Amino acid sequence: MRADEHLVLHGLAVKRHATAEEVADAIGDDPTRVEEVLAANVTTGRVADLNGKYTLLPGGRMIVKGEYSRHYADVRSSEPFLAAYERFERVNEEVKALITSWQVRELPSGEAVTNDHSDADYDEKVIDRLGALHERFEPTLQEMCTVVPRLQRYADKLDAALDKAEQGDRQWVSDVNLPSFHTVWFEMHEDLLCMLGKVRVE
Amino acid sequence: MSSAAVPTRSYTHRLSGSTDLPDRNLVGGKAWSLARMTSLGLRVPPAFVVTTEGFRHFHEAGELTEGLRAQVLDGLADLERSTGRQFGVGPAPLLLSVRSGAAISMPGMMDTVLNLGMTDEVEAALANESGDATFARDTHHRFLELFNDVVLGLDPHDHRADSPAAVRASVSTARPDVAWDPLGQLMASIEAVFKSWNSRRARRYRAHQGISDDLGTAVTVQAMVFGNLGEDSGTGVLFSRNPLDGSKQVYGEYLRRAQGEDVVSGRVTPQPLSELADQSPTLHSELLAAAQTLEQANREVQDVEFTVQSGQLYLLQSRTAKLAPEAALRSTIDLVEEGVLSVDAAVRRLTPSQARSLVAPRLATTSQSNPPVASGESACAGVGIGRVVDDPDQAISLAAEGIAVILARPTTSPEDLGGMLAARAVVTDEGGSTSHAAVVSRALGLPCVVGCGAGSLNPHVGSIVTVDGATGTVYAGELPVLVPREDDSDDLRTVIAWARTLSPISITATAEGLDADDVVDLTDIPGGIDPEQVAATIAGLPPTQAISGGAAGSPEAVTAAIDAGVSRIVTDPVLPALLAAVHHTAPGQPDATAPTSADSPTDTKGQPR
Repeated sequence: MRADEHLVLHGLAVKRHATAEEVADAIGDDPTRVEEVLAANVTTGRVADLNGKYTLLPGGRMIVKGEYSRHYADVRSSEPFLAAYERFERVNEEVKALITSWQVRELPSGEAVTNDHSDADYDEKVIDRLGALHERFEPTLQEMCTVVPRLQRYADKLDAALDKAEQGDRQWVSDVNLPSFHTVWFEMHEDLLCMLGKVRVE
Repeated sequence: MSSAAVPTRSYTHRLSGSTDLPDRNLVGGKAWSLARMTSLGLRVPPAFVVTTEGFRHFHEAGELTEGLRAQVLDGLADLERSTGRQFGVGPAPLLLSVRSGAAISMPGMMDTVLNLGMTDEVEAALANESGDATFARDTHHRFLELFNDVVLGLDPHDHRADSPAAVRASVSTARPDVAWDPLGQLMASIEAVFKSWNSRRARRYRAHQGISDDLGTAVTVQAMVFGNLGEDSGTGVLFSRNPLDGSKQVYGEYLRRAQGEDVVSGRVTPQPLSELADQSPTLHSELLAAAQTLEQANREVQDVEFTVQSGQLYLLQSRTAKLAPEAALRSTIDLVEEGVLSVDAAVRRLTPSQARSLVAPRLATTSQSNPPVASGESACAGVGIGRVVDDPDQAISLAAEGIAVILARPTTSPEDLGGMLAARAVVTDEGGSTSHAAVVSRALGLPCVVGCGAGSLNPHVGSIVTVDGATGTVYAGELPVLVPREDDSDDLRTVIAWARTLSPISITATAEGLDADDVVDLTDIPGGIDPEQVAATIAGLPPTQAISGGAAGSPEAVTAAIDAGVSRIVTDPVLPALLAAVHHTAPGQPDATAPTSADSPTDTKGQPR
């Protein structure tokens, strides 16, 4: 499989059910070309077209998975990238903990209840910490971008989500139906795991 | 370069026991809160402020001038006098906290630095004074970690080392300019606060919000107090009312001869507040009186952190307590009956989501006699019943056929989202309350249990289970679910009656008294069952007398119905919708007592990290 074709299918693997536009947006490619690649893969039976939303079929998923080591050999052997990835995994723990404190507050009994966002002061502090974390992580992300330039998409989306959250649009922290901070962070994590052939550890 | 001239302006402000509150724009929100506590007659650790005048002077001069430094040294000397301790010197060393404080809080400002003034000599003195060398060493490491992170902007993980000297050496190779002496630490921290005003996030926030860049930030410098200096020292936390049921009894924990971090780290087991009463009945009653004062002043149940240092009580922080929904309901009613809150303010304080959780379906307690088939950590409360499916695609297709499914996965990744959306509950083998499954299920309000162990639900794939998200348990079969009724609770009936007097729209549980022709059932209308679309749907209706069904009880529908001139909503439970209706109207008369500050948490200590 050609590298550019693999990238399109990789984008679909990360997005799972997505239109050609959404896949193109994820990998920073031209939607028309992505549409062509996806349509061609529908013909070969690797991809299914479900009313305009594409998804990888099991066989396609296996092929895509098997090709990562070939297309990302240089990334997998790049010391700076691997070091940056290790830092990512560490920061990831902090991001997850912060998103959890965004969603849940602990009662004095130790019981966790849903954060109903009635305490603006609490919410602001969590968003502020998320911003501080993001700022701290940015140089690392930039190091990753020098090896894999398309990761810049994630940097831009994280920054945009954070900006909206800071202005008071709360759903941009972790809403799963939006490219919220958590949604983008999570997709980036999935992307990195695929490229490096790692398995998610929770 | 140096402005050796005697400064004609004052750049610092000492927080004294005066009842006059300082100008909030001059000292910032945090110091203002401290001053307010002091004005209530409560003791907080001594502090002074480098004001926003000092900030402007710094930015004009481009540095901390001699004049500004001299005034900081004066403030420091004040703190040394009032605490009887010395900055950077034993045998009783003074340590400081430094925090930013603009009149309006905003993102990107420098976070708090604690234990400033720490050196190897100070660590030794503190070890001697407290008789606890481990504590002194931990305090030293905590200082370095925060200072490196917050003031120097370094990643503390990059500079971890066994000894403080090794940490400093590691940082100094990256930043040779860092001055590690106590005054160097203090000046660098003040400068870092002033510079954080122009951080990218802070500038962006002000630009969006139309806040002037000239407003500036103040810096609060406060003495640290220690709860581990002897048997007559300790630290604790108390709630002015019971946070679980809202009853009028203080609730708290106390740790003799311990520092706040010991509670967090679990190094010591906390004792009930009666421990403090045993140590000193006087301190105990002083504390209870302080909690009472703060509750009266803030008109909210308070969560107070305090430290006793050598027999002297200091209040570190007081903020609105986070209460269980039952406790929020009970204490709000009590505060009205005590004349502290108006009915209007009380109803506005309760949220629709609290009201909803009070009548959320739960497992009947009698039904839990049979042992669970799996158990893990609770990630999102709620009850889900359905057939266990271990494949997200299958979950989607079965749900499309109208079959209730429970999605069981080893862990979840983004590709499971579709399956999660289709499921009634999610159960995972691995992961804790911060895992992806937990995060996403909470965002969806989907009952979720995580970390049940590898293959926990494998034997149950294809059969029906009941998932109790609140307790983190999974039971075989379909268990009876109890749906609490609003009418069965005296407290709910009271608040419903209050809310009805304030609601601009009639909200009832039944359609009694309405002609069927007058009621539009949203279930039958496109967009009528989705809270995201229901507002637009209602706005598009022809003139309508009443709505029911679908998402009619959601806050979005209530707001849209009021705006569209609908006169009645039929929904059950009624309280969440009634509260949403009241929240949509302008507040009534203010309360009789003095208004609280916009900056309600009276925060005098660093945020726990």
